Amino acid sequence: MRPAGPPPPPGTELLAALADRPALLEPARQASDALAGQPGAERWAAAVLALLHANAGAACLTALLRLRDEAAALEAVAEHVTDIVRQAGAAAAVAAIEAWARLREPALWPQLRRLAHEAPDCVALLAANAGAVLRSRGPDGLGDFVSLGLKAAGRDKSKRARFFALDDPLARQALAQSGSDFAMLERRLKLFATALWGRPPLLRPRPAVPGQPPPRRAGVTDGVILLPDSFPGVPRAAQPTLFHAAVAHALAHLMAGAPRQLVGTLKPLQLALIGLVEDARVEALAMRRFPGLRRLWARHHVAQPEGSTAPALLARLARALFDPGYDDAHGFVAKGAALFAAADLENPAESRRIGGLLGNDLGQMRIQFNARIFVIEPPYRDDNLGLWDFGAQPDASPAVLDLMIETARLRQEETKDAPKSDSAAEETTVRARPVAASQEGVPLARYPEWDRAQGVERPDWTCVRAVPAASGDVRRLEAALEAAPELRRRIDRLVRAARPGRPQRLRHQPEGMDLDIDAVLDAEIARAAGETPDERVYRGTALRTRDLATVVLLDVSESTRRDGALETERLAVALLADAMIRLDDPFALLAFASDGREQVRLTRIKDFAEPFARTQRARLAGMAPGLSTRLGAALRHAGAELAAVRSFRRLVLVLTDGEPSDIDVADPLDLVEDSRRAVLGLRSRGIDTFAVLPGCRGTDAAARMFGRAGYAALRRLDDLPARLSELYFRLSHR
Amino acid sequence: MTAVDSFRIETEPYYRPVGDEVAVFEAAYQHRLPVMLKGPTGCGKTRFLEYMAWRLRRPLVTVAAHEDMTAADMIGRFLLVPGEMAWHDGPLTLAVRGGAICYVDEIVEARQDTIVIIHPLTDARRMLPLEKKNELVAAHPDFQLTISYNPGYQSAVKDLKESTRQRFVAIDFGYPAPPVEAEIVACESGIDPGRAATLVEFAQRSRNLRGQGLEEGASTRMLIHAGRLMLAGLSPAAAAQAAIVLPLTDDAELREALAAAIAACLG
Repeated sequence: MRPAGPPPPPGTELLAALADRPALLEPARQASDALAGQPGAERWAAAVLALLHANAGAACLTALLRLRDEAAALEAVAEHVTDIVRQAGAAAAVAAIEAWARLREPALWPQLRRLAHEAPDCVALLAANAGAVLRSRGPDGLGDFVSLGLKAAGRDKSKRARFFALDDPLARQALAQSGSDFAMLERRLKLFATALWGRPPLLRPRPAVPGQPPPRRAGVTDGVILLPDSFPGVPRAAQPTLFHAAVAHALAHLMAGAPRQLVGTLKPLQLALIGLVEDARVEALAMRRFPGLRRLWARHHVAQPEGSTAPALLARLARALFDPGYDDAHGFVAKGAALFAAADLENPAESRRIGGLLGNDLGQMRIQFNARIFVIEPPYRDDNLGLWDFGAQPDASPAVLDLMIETARLRQEETKDAPKSDSAAEETTVRARPVAASQEGVPLARYPEWDRAQGVERPDWTCVRAVPAASGDVRRLEAALEAAPELRRRIDRLVRAARPGRPQRLRHQPEGMDLDIDAVLDAEIARAAGETPDERVYRGTALRTRDLATVVLLDVSESTRRDGALETERLAVALLADAMIRLDDPFALLAFASDGREQVRLTRIKDFAEPFARTQRARLAGMAPGLSTRLGAALRHAGAELAAVRSFRRLVLVLTDGEPSDIDVADPLDLVEDSRRAVLGLRSRGIDTFAVLPGCRGTDAAARMFGRAGYAALRRLDDLPARLSELYFRLSHR
Repeated sequence: MTAVDSFRIETEPYYRPVGDEVAVFEAAYQHRLPVMLKGPTGCGKTRFLEYMAWRLRRPLVTVAAHEDMTAADMIGRFLLVPGEMAWHDGPLTLAVRGGAICYVDEIVEARQDTIVIIHPLTDARRMLPLEKKNELVAAHPDFQLTISYNPGYQSAVKDLKESTRQRFVAIDFGYPAPPVEAEIVACESGIDPGRAATLVEFAQRSRNLRGQGLEEGASTRMLIHAGRLMLAGLSPAAAAQAAIVLPLTDDAELREALAAAIAACLG
């Protein structure tokens, strides 16, 4: 019989292995003692031993041995750390252990290990910044963040490091964006305001001032409403109503339309009070028009008749002016309410008068007011900077001036864009967001891209830019056309066969405008013979119409330089275009190439409304091979252009080598998958996609992207001119 | 009693004139000029014509145009009856023979080749050729043709041809001014003028969103429906939701925004 006593500490083998490393032996002994008697303690010891054998180094082992938790948890940590040590080295593992000790977030490990395998240099960076990422995006968002970094950097290691060090603007944006309730609510707020006031408001995210905490309140300046990404300290569920309240308040200001007033010698407390009275005034005016706004605002007025600091008194006054049912006996508050009740609300000057009087009272009460830390309450009210004209005041804070310059600039951009944003085009291309102009090609739209690693769509990932076409030598193209008379005759025959002819007469129809006399006679005879007559006795006519709009998407990336592929494609497209013109089939001709996700360059050779004349031929002749193939973005844009065309059938006909690639994408499979998503997206909007691949390469990827029946691979490049038109005619018959 | 007599309107339909449309129509009818009623859906075009038909004591034959409508659907066709084939007049021929007002509702919905059959009726000839029957029907002296069309939602594909368009005298209908619209809503639905005015406020909110995702704002007809729901005991918010917000759009964000704007109008 064994004597009863404490169970032996686990890991005799581990301790033996550490016998000659006194610096580690002591922590190991302590850890072992702490785990004594726990199930799984031996497995923990084995895992630590494995780490030791992986050459983890003293620092790493010490850090690990200092962790205290249940044996099973520590064993799992040891396994994760072993993997990270093997892939990314001991320093990264130490950083990982420290991050774990700090955050205790199980979601960390899979991501750290993933980075250890894919980007070992970034493990320590992510470990150091994991806290910030988790705070902003939560455990579920961590994986997404890592995928975003890997995808955005592509092959660029230094960019990758910057991203995980949070030095990259995209990383900062990713952290900020996840908290942006404004981005989520923007359209709803805009529609809400439009419905109320009859014109779309100018809503903008409030730019953060560098080195300062994120903005906490809305701002209204010169007709632009600036909104924070979210209101800090307000639960997520309450954000939508607060945003609605903020927009309604900002619009109340804009509708009351008081001109800016010179600040002059007014003190901060006076500014705050005048602003407060003005807030109450414009709200009262707005509630005359829309009584329901009271409900929207009232829930944020939570001041109680207690507290006599300046912020408390101001909040009490704000509530008293807003809420007639609020009872506050404080002399200052009661006086404010009485003055306000007697005021002529239509007159903007009243705010200054009442605010000034109240400011004097508060001054005499010797109540301290600290403008630096003062935040307007209730939270839906804006900072009221838009009420004031600071003139050329030297003492206006730089941040305030920055904000004003910023809004003035936004305002200019908005008025420039205004007629465009109202157009129907924006409505139809839901995913396409118009972007501001820059010098490298005019941005047309931004499109999402599929992130294969994470299985999500990255919004606004690519930027499609319009690049003007260079004029080429038409004569060479025409000479090539002349040199292929047999080809042209073949296409002629196709055109003649497809051209809509005379209406066809349909007999034996169940209904129609006219009787089919033969059928009537047959029916009468059948009836006379005692049989059941065929009731299909009408005839009708059917017009064979072609109702197909096409975007021909021409890949002009570097790979088309091979074997003079582009030369042959040019000829094929010219032949096809001539045929389409003769059939009156509407079509547009776009060429694309890309240079990273910000530079998907699109050249318009022929627009739907244009003829295919000398200018367009010259543009086609002027295309030169170069850059990469970001097919997905080009497909999405072609779809957006087609969506605006009214036609029974719509087709994107792609001419590509079937190998999407780009400089900032490490794995071409990412773009293959993205193209597949783009094709599916087009299909769901009723747009067919068909690819023609001259040269027989890349068919696996093609089948993946376009579906097995969605492409034709031509073994010989020389077949293209004839086959392209044939394929088109076959497609247009379907 | 002729065939068209069953199309007579016996009791006065409720119509609240908003401008000079009654005078214009009477003047046009005096000379039997064809009239085109333009305006958004549910603003009272059909009701106006019913009222005018009653006022002028003419029968009103209505044809609702649709894409599959053929010329035969308008003018008539041979049908098989036991032992023979018999001609049956279509609604247009009926009106032409009987001296009724023929009202072709939403004419752009019909195909172009169907629309052109009204051409000989709308100029000095005033006749309807029935080529199948080899007959030329001269219009009854009281016959008049009126069409309606909504310029809002027709597309480039569905537009009136110039040769059709230029045959008509046009009367433009919009939504009436808020007080007038409230009066109409109150009268048609039976609710009190105060609540009717609130409904018109709601409509104003939705009309502001026209072109921002809504094809068309709430029509007067919708408001009347909402009013009837309120009369049946629904709260204004619930009635607006059921009769205005939900039918107007399937876009969830738009619905939310509209519902929020409507809530802001309610005290």
